[in-house]
Amino acid sequence: MDRREFIRSSLQLAIATAAIGGTPWLDLAALAAPAPLTPPLAVRKGKDIPATVRAAVTALGGMGAFVKAGEVVVVKPNIGWDRTVELAANTHPLVVRTVVELCLEAGAKKVLVFDRTCNDPRRCYVESGISAAVEGLKSSKVSMEQIDRRAFIDVDIKGGIDQQRWSFYQPALNADRFINLPIAKHHSISTITVGMKNIMGVIGGNRGTMHRNIAEALADINTIIRSDLTIVDATRILVANGPQGGRLEDVKVLDTIIASPDIVAADAYSATLFGLQPRDITSVVAGAKRGLGTFDLQKVRMV
Amino acid sequence: MSSVNRWRRLRRSVQLLCLLGFLILFVATEYRGEDRLSWPVSLLFRIDPLALIADLLAPGAPHLSLLWPALLVLLLTAIAGRFFCGWICPLGTTLDGCGAVIGRGKTVVKPGWRQIKYLLLIFLSVAALLGVQLFGLFDPLAIFLRTLTFALYPTYNLGANALFDAAWQHPVPVLSPAINQLFPFWRDHLMAFRPPFFTLGLFTLLIFLCILALERIERRFWCKNLCPLGGLLGLCSRYALLRRTPSRLCSDCALCASACRMAAVGTEAVRKSECIRCFDCGDYCPYRRVAFSWSPQPRPEVSTDLTRRGVLVAAASGLLIAPSIRIEPDARLHNSTLLRPPGAVDEAEFLRRCIRCGECMKVCIGSALHPAFLQAGVTGLWTPLLMARLGYCEYNCTLCGQVCPTGAIKELSLEVKRKTVIGLAVFDKNLCLPYARGEECLVCEEHCPTGKKAIIFDERDVTYGGVTRRLKQPVVVKSLCIGCGICETKCPVEGVSAIRVIHEGESRRQRDASAGLDGY
Repeated sequence: MDRREFIRSSLQLAIATAAIGGTPWLDLAALAAPAPLTPPLAVRKGKDIPATVRAAVTALGGMGAFVKAGEVVVVKPNIGWDRTVELAANTHPLVVRTVVELCLEAGAKKVLVFDRTCNDPRRCYVESGISAAVEGLKSSKVSMEQIDRRAFIDVDIKGGIDQQRWSFYQPALNADRFINLPIAKHHSISTITVGMKNIMGVIGGNRGTMHRNIAEALADINTIIRSDLTIVDATRILVANGPQGGRLEDVKVLDTIIASPDIVAADAYSATLFGLQPRDITSVVAGAKRGLGTFDLQKVRMV
Repeated sequence: MSSVNRWRRLRRSVQLLCLLGFLILFVATEYRGEDRLSWPVSLLFRIDPLALIADLLAPGAPHLSLLWPALLVLLLTAIAGRFFCGWICPLGTTLDGCGAVIGRGKTVVKPGWRQIKYLLLIFLSVAALLGVQLFGLFDPLAIFLRTLTFALYPTYNLGANALFDAAWQHPVPVLSPAINQLFPFWRDHLMAFRPPFFTLGLFTLLIFLCILALERIERRFWCKNLCPLGGLLGLCSRYALLRRTPSRLCSDCALCASACRMAAVGTEAVRKSECIRCFDCGDYCPYRRVAFSWSPQPRPEVSTDLTRRGVLVAAASGLLIAPSIRIEPDARLHNSTLLRPPGAVDEAEFLRRCIRCGECMKVCIGSALHPAFLQAGVTGLWTPLLMARLGYCEYNCTLCGQVCPTGAIKELSLEVKRKTVIGLAVFDKNLCLPYARGEECLVCEEHCPTGKKAIIFDERDVTYGGVTRRLKQPVVVKSLCIGCGICETKCPVEGVSAIRVIHEGESRRQRDASAGLDGY
């Protein structure tokens, strides 16, 4: 190797290294792993809520398929409103309790339950019945505490369309597993609120500003908080005056639980409960476009 | 140890226990998971004779079921003298305690100053009788609780939160984890759930500091010279049965002349209306001569320091202030956002009942209630305003009515409260995004709590800057809106809200607020 050759090959190597190093490998890794082409989706019906929840999770391979022993799990119900159970504004306490139990049975080290509420947080935790249901488990591994206002941290949203940076709740970011437990409800601006919108309960900031472009904003935040499992409480749904409700005549009892590792599929299926098509729900469409899941129910594997 | 000495120690213990008790009740004046407060948190005002007088002089039925303890205080004062000031009053205890710290003045203020408290009492009573109730401005218990609510407690919370924040942000080994561990318990039991803030916080603090500074002139300056409650209790105790001997300054000593905190011992007699039964004299008397005994006394040995002229001027001032206040226009005519808590009685009666104690503002779960400065007129100082941009009235909460000691805010059942109209939400279409900027929003509609929503929307094709979009534009349904203000609080527009609650159609109104105008 003469000097000229050495310099040439050195330069080539340097250019190649720079090219490889300059490629945003990490960013690519951070992007959504393409959702499985045929995500499984379980729909179970039954008056016995715990049994129905368990049946839906079992159909997906059991909680062990999602939660491994020793993991920290966030179970995120909708506790947004100062409403009692029958008014269908919050996730049913029995759904929450059963999912927490399943996590414990799967060997979770710690299960955290929380929500950043819309009404007074103390009232919401009590009136929703979720606080009592979770505390009723009397497990030191389960914690249902109020949101700690100190624990929000700003996170860059790579590829964010409506928001490029937003504050997120650290316990949700740091958890090993995130189980999303929305209730399916009518919502005037996003048509319906299910799993993707439930993620608004783990973000900080002035959430109202997100409503200007809600579909893309929800897709944005769902790229940061990934739901490993979405279990939609459709034991009763709110068909009008949502998401806060308040009238029994707006509540429709369906005794249904929908579960899927694909949040978009779960939301898409939930749309049909309201007589809507998945493509009518802009957030579902936006979520699919971003690779968060599939909204084409033909491609979903019903289990 | 003499028995008097034991009384003094007992008195100090009672003072501290009472102060502690009131502080516990104060901290308990917060939602803690129960719709009904289990503690009588406003006890301080249920034993307040000035609150009782305000209540009796206000229109409407008296609230003796709430205020009977105040009657008991008056009765006990007639028997035992002004013990309330020396043993129970939290402001008195605070002054005693802080005076020891900041140093007490030795100035001997002229005895004539003492009549101010009686004159103030007469002025306030006559004014209240004629329709202008200002007891709350000078009521020591109200001053104490207001200072605590608006200034001291928020300050404490700021400090505590700063500590918890620092521990969170700077992981100092051992220390930070220990402090972090404490946080949930502290937040749930020993701090306000949300760091409280109030309009008038600094102003209220300033007033308190002035009263405190008076200690530098003379010990218990406020209690001796200014306090109208002290005046009332002083008048009640003129025939008290508990007597002190010696009944005047001893010729060979006269230490009492300088040592008595109330300067109650004179050359001719002991002023019963000044003696607050602190029993200090039993302790400091070098000859151990002081004794207290029960014996009826037909005539007070010494008159109050009142002059006839003073009484006449005070009464005449009270007589005049009532009509004078009305030369200003009714605040509601020019302040459309003058909102009161749900259950508040009609404004005229409200101003005559509210003793500005701050209990409702302390308990308000949504931080919606704030003390008024001049928004409700000069007589409305420190009365509670619902400031919907700062906080909203929680739909299922009835706490303010539960704590009001004078019936200025009626206790409402939840069913009634949900139907009680505080005001009406109106849009400012120059700010509201779907109107002003052609953007989607509807946060107000999302949060509207009235079951069948009072905020709905019309879908329209809106052209904005040449681009046409189909948009949902919110509108208020007047028949359903209760003016809770959640829409105003949550409106994501920065600064002033694009939807505001005005006092139109409020349930408490007995006649049209605009009736004062020579309107159409």
